Amino acid sequence: MQEILQVTISGLATGAIYAMVAMGFTLLWQTTSTINFAQGEFVMLPAFLMLGGIVVLDLPLAVAFVGALLISAALLGAAFKRAIIDPMIRHGVLPLAIATIGLTLALKNGVKAIYGAEAHPFPHPFPVEIWRVLGVAFSSYDIAVIASVAAVVFALNRFLNGTMTGRSMQAVAQNPEAAVVLGIDVKRLILYTFVVNAALAAAAALLVTPVYLFKFDLGESLGLKAFYAAIIGGFNQMRGALVGGLIVGVLENLSAVYFAPAYKDAVALGLFVLVILFRPEGLLGREEARRV
Amino acid sequence: MAEALALADVVAGYGQSTILNGLSFAAEAGRITTLIGANGAGKSTVLKTVFGLLRPRQGSIRMHGEPIGGLEPRALLARGLVFVPQGRNLFPTLTVRHNLELGGTTLGDRALLRRRMDAVLERFPRLRERAEGQASALSGGEQKMLEIGRALLLEPKVLLIDEPSIGLAPKVVAEVYALLRGLAESGVSILMVEQNVRAALGMSDAAVALEQGRVGLMGPAAQVLADTRIKALFLGGGLAAAG
Repeated sequence: MQEILQVTISGLATGAIYAMVAMGFTLLWQTTSTINFAQGEFVMLPAFLMLGGIVVLDLPLAVAFVGALLISAALLGAAFKRAIIDPMIRHGVLPLAIATIGLTLALKNGVKAIYGAEAHPFPHPFPVEIWRVLGVAFSSYDIAVIASVAAVVFALNRFLNGTMTGRSMQAVAQNPEAAVVLGIDVKRLILYTFVVNAALAAAAALLVTPVYLFKFDLGESLGLKAFYAAIIGGFNQMRGALVGGLIVGVLENLSAVYFAPAYKDAVALGLFVLVILFRPEGLLGREEARRV
Repeated sequence: MAEALALADVVAGYGQSTILNGLSFAAEAGRITTLIGANGAGKSTVLKTVFGLLRPRQGSIRMHGEPIGGLEPRALLARGLVFVPQGRNLFPTLTVRHNLELGGTTLGDRALLRRRMDAVLERFPRLRERAEGQASALSGGEQKMLEIGRALLLEPKVLLIDEPSIGLAPKVVAEVYALLRGLAESGVSILMVEQNVRAALGMSDAAVALEQGRVGLMGPAAQVLADTRIKALFLGGGLAAAG
């Protein structure tokens, strides 16, 4: 029982990071029907920038994080939207998805060319200790990750529901035609969703890179798991992405310990296939009809 | 009577197809003018073109004498022209209050927006009762009331409304029409599109019957309704065939 609890907590920490990246997927899908296959690289690039700040410029992690966050918001938020989404969106969902796959290759190989293919350690933003509570051992880092993601989700929720800008972003996602008729600045709000997505990915980079170490392909499996998580939870629901991420993280950990570590990565894929077959709208998603 | 809206030789359409073929008519201030016509005659296209969702290729559109052709919706809202399109125009998971609030996006003054929202909720007690509930939980009639209430936040001079009766029970349609009638009495000029010809012309001041993107018949609503040629517009064959 104690072991199950330990494995579950550590799975929740991994799942919380998947969830944060998955929420970005749903944000972009809801506002622009973009499936951003470069989402994993949107985590890798800020990790690379932070590492550059720490190693080359000798910056403290906190300063490097703020710098990476701002650069990500500009580059992977605003510039990504202007340079790739805006010109491609009129061609439909598939060409847009393929363009983001192209971006994945460009980012991954660009970083590999600059930095090489070796893994590099990355500092932990929180202390790493083992805490024992009632005989159960917890990693303080896992708890800090869960708390950090909970704080980000809470802040995002407050922003989306508690401010007029956030509600306008929801309006644009739910009914863009009606938003235009009310004079809501749809283009500006769509830009905000891209910036929020880039910020979520940068925050995920800060939490995940110390665990996985930095490498040019850091985002590969993370992006894929987050994509599965978003589909499992419901691609058109942020809370679906949150739940999907946590489910994938916990099941992965449980299967690694109690089934076979080699099949750990197959858990998300298996669940993804089941959801696509039996509940394509996802566990918490809404059925969606699209005009063709 | 002053003209609230005046269209002269307006040509507009989608892609290669032309829907409005040199359309000219005027809607008088403080009156309800209803556009009628068969499917595809261009009724909704008129509203979309006036509201700047579709750029006119030719011709002029004036509101109270000022040219507004080709202006963006935000600029038109600021001038007091609002549009309630056909169908679902709400944000289903947001509350009734927040749906209403978004109608005041262009006001830019929080205190003014709050006062206007209070006034609208005062006017629609059923919306006030459900203000904190999700908009998707409202009945069809309440949703339409919310859409109209939201349009009223900007205290419009001209209201464009597309098929307000669609999908509503006759009793609710009567309520919506009474509300529009009241708005016209208070000085709002209304340009409405309706399929429900008899009921709509019964409460309108003027009617414009469209035929293939041009005016087929135009005049006081009662006169257009009594015109024997009106059937030809809906049954095909056009006015020329009707003689």
